[in-house]
Amino acid sequence: MILVNKDTKVIVQGATGKMGSAHTKRMIAYGTKVVGGVTPGKGGSKIEGIPVFDTVKEAFQATGANTSVIFVPPYLALDAGSEALDAGAELIVLITEGIPPQDAAKLVAQVKAKGAELIGPNCPGIITPGECLIGILPGSIFKSGPVGMVSRSGTLTYEIALALTESGLGQSTCVGVGGDPIKGMGYEEALSLFKEDPKTEVIVLIGEIGGTAEEEAAAYIKANVKKPVVAYIAGQTAPPGKRMGHAGAIISGGKGTAQSKIEAFEKAGIKVAKTPSEVAKFVAEASKQVARA
Amino acid sequence: MNLYEWEAKKIFQEHGIPVPPSHRITRPEELRKVHLGYPLTLKVQVQSGGRGKAGGIQFAKDLKEGETKAAELLKMVINGSKTESLLIEPRLTIAKELYLSVTLDRSRGCAIFIASAEGGIEIESSKNVVTMPIPYPYHDFVGRDLAKQIGLTGNLLNKFADLANKLYKLFESKDLELAEVNPLIVTDGDEVLALDGKITICDDALGRHKCFAGWQETHMLDLSDREKRSKRAGLNLVELDGNIGILCNGAGLTMATMDLVKAFGGQPGNFLDAGGGSDTEKTLEALEIVHDNPKCDVILVNILGGITACDEVAQALTAFMKRHPERKLVVRLRGNNQDVAEKMLAESGLKLYPELETAVKEAVSQSKVPAGAAR
Repeated sequence: MILVNKDTKVIVQGATGKMGSAHTKRMIAYGTKVVGGVTPGKGGSKIEGIPVFDTVKEAFQATGANTSVIFVPPYLALDAGSEALDAGAELIVLITEGIPPQDAAKLVAQVKAKGAELIGPNCPGIITPGECLIGILPGSIFKSGPVGMVSRSGTLTYEIALALTESGLGQSTCVGVGGDPIKGMGYEEALSLFKEDPKTEVIVLIGEIGGTAEEEAAAYIKANVKKPVVAYIAGQTAPPGKRMGHAGAIISGGKGTAQSKIEAFEKAGIKVAKTPSEVAKFVAEASKQVARA
Repeated sequence: MNLYEWEAKKIFQEHGIPVPPSHRITRPEELRKVHLGYPLTLKVQVQSGGRGKAGGIQFAKDLKEGETKAAELLKMVINGSKTESLLIEPRLTIAKELYLSVTLDRSRGCAIFIASAEGGIEIESSKNVVTMPIPYPYHDFVGRDLAKQIGLTGNLLNKFADLANKLYKLFESKDLELAEVNPLIVTDGDEVLALDGKITICDDALGRHKCFAGWQETHMLDLSDREKRSKRAGLNLVELDGNIGILCNGAGLTMATMDLVKAFGGQPGNFLDAGGGSDTEKTLEALEIVHDNPKCDVILVNILGGITACDEVAQALTAFMKRHPERKLVVRLRGNNQDVAEKMLAESGLKLYPELETAVKEAVSQSKVPAGAAR
């Protein structure tokens, strides 16, 4: 497992909002140690049985948490993330969709300067099944096991996790890094953690059209990762020049095609599944090989 | 949102970036009121690129030639993009062309300058291009550094640096995705001017810039009616050529569903990502938009609810089936509140497919039934 486990203490920024409160409830029900919420002006109250604070600094000091999950509206997200960093956050999970990319760039610059980790924006979050769920992932789809997953998509991650779980293949940790062009953690950071994680035996990388992150990941895997990796690329039939839902999912100037990504993976000796169910099939094959070795 | 050249130049001017004098016209006879001196340059205002190559820039030596050419240019459609108006400028004598833009670099995660001392051409295919990450917070020496890096000296170094600094400040203050000057020209009179300009405003930032209020509506000239409706409803629609309407939640899942349809021999008629957390009303509008595509024979709905509640989707489906009982629907619905949704839909008689691949195969097979045969 990577980044989060049963001991991870989390505070929720925007805990009293519609999204924030609904998911605070679901995270607590899953068993995540949600120890506080932050909503300026509502300090001293409670939500879902946990204390609400006015500032992140206060919340961290009172609870001993150093992880924050952010559910605030898009134009408030840069400020919320900056506040968490200033208070000493080591991990920030930024769920909010629709953050202007220049704000994301400013937050990423601060995260790098502080040496912290940022997952998102526009992401489903992270789950170590059976231990900790931070974000909006449907917990019931996941189960504990040896497969590490990193993905740019939310619902497609659920689809593939479902296929894995139904084939009896549980997951060590699943990280949804988000579909925006400017974001915190990328494939390479997640892969570098999975390769050192003793619980992870096989890694699943879910990519999509747009940008060159998958090509870079393929080169990184070839040079650094000995564990088997199975890849899946969404948007194989996407027309060029059109933004396919995610701000980052666009083929422009002939760059970012599924074909180029698939070729990069295949050249690096990484199996590329054509359908979600084929991901499960390839992972099962790779697991057997790991067991034999 | 891509702006027209005339809008970009107006914004450049407001931010101290020099542009040639110009006049915008929407009818050929308006050329009579233009007093910029001949010869003139006539440029079609379109949101698509490739304007020059397509013949969208013409010169006129006098009013007569100008009116004839203006009438032709106003009818032009370039790569599916309609001409909104013409921008008229004096024909300038160019001593030197340069390239300058500011954009966001996704792999570096920051804003960058792209610059070249050879402009006017397609920057992707040009050599001698300098790419420079922009530090945050910004300082004016960055502009001078850039000018030096592309080999400028003397007076031109300072003029270019000043322009780069202004372009970055515009980029930051207006939340742009792209601010491009191509070409940036030096005239025979040593004037430095933005001869052509392109601005892309980040759609997600429109809500916090009052100066762009209402602009979304005036930049939909190239969109179909269904694309316009989607934009207004906050749905992501891409029109495709096939006959299977696709409606999912989440970009990755929608793309994967579209890929599966194709892999199983079907033809997607659209890509519609309803996004996360869509309620009944939004889902119903999404269904109606897919339904209104005349090419669509069957609608494939694939919802995997994390943040989206299945019962909200089920309510939308129930309402939709009442309105359009004849419409062929293949629905796969899983996740949050799935049991409630299943109960609601059991009463309606709609069959649900729990497996994605089974659902896709069913939709593909229904799409092959000749139109009208099953209705």
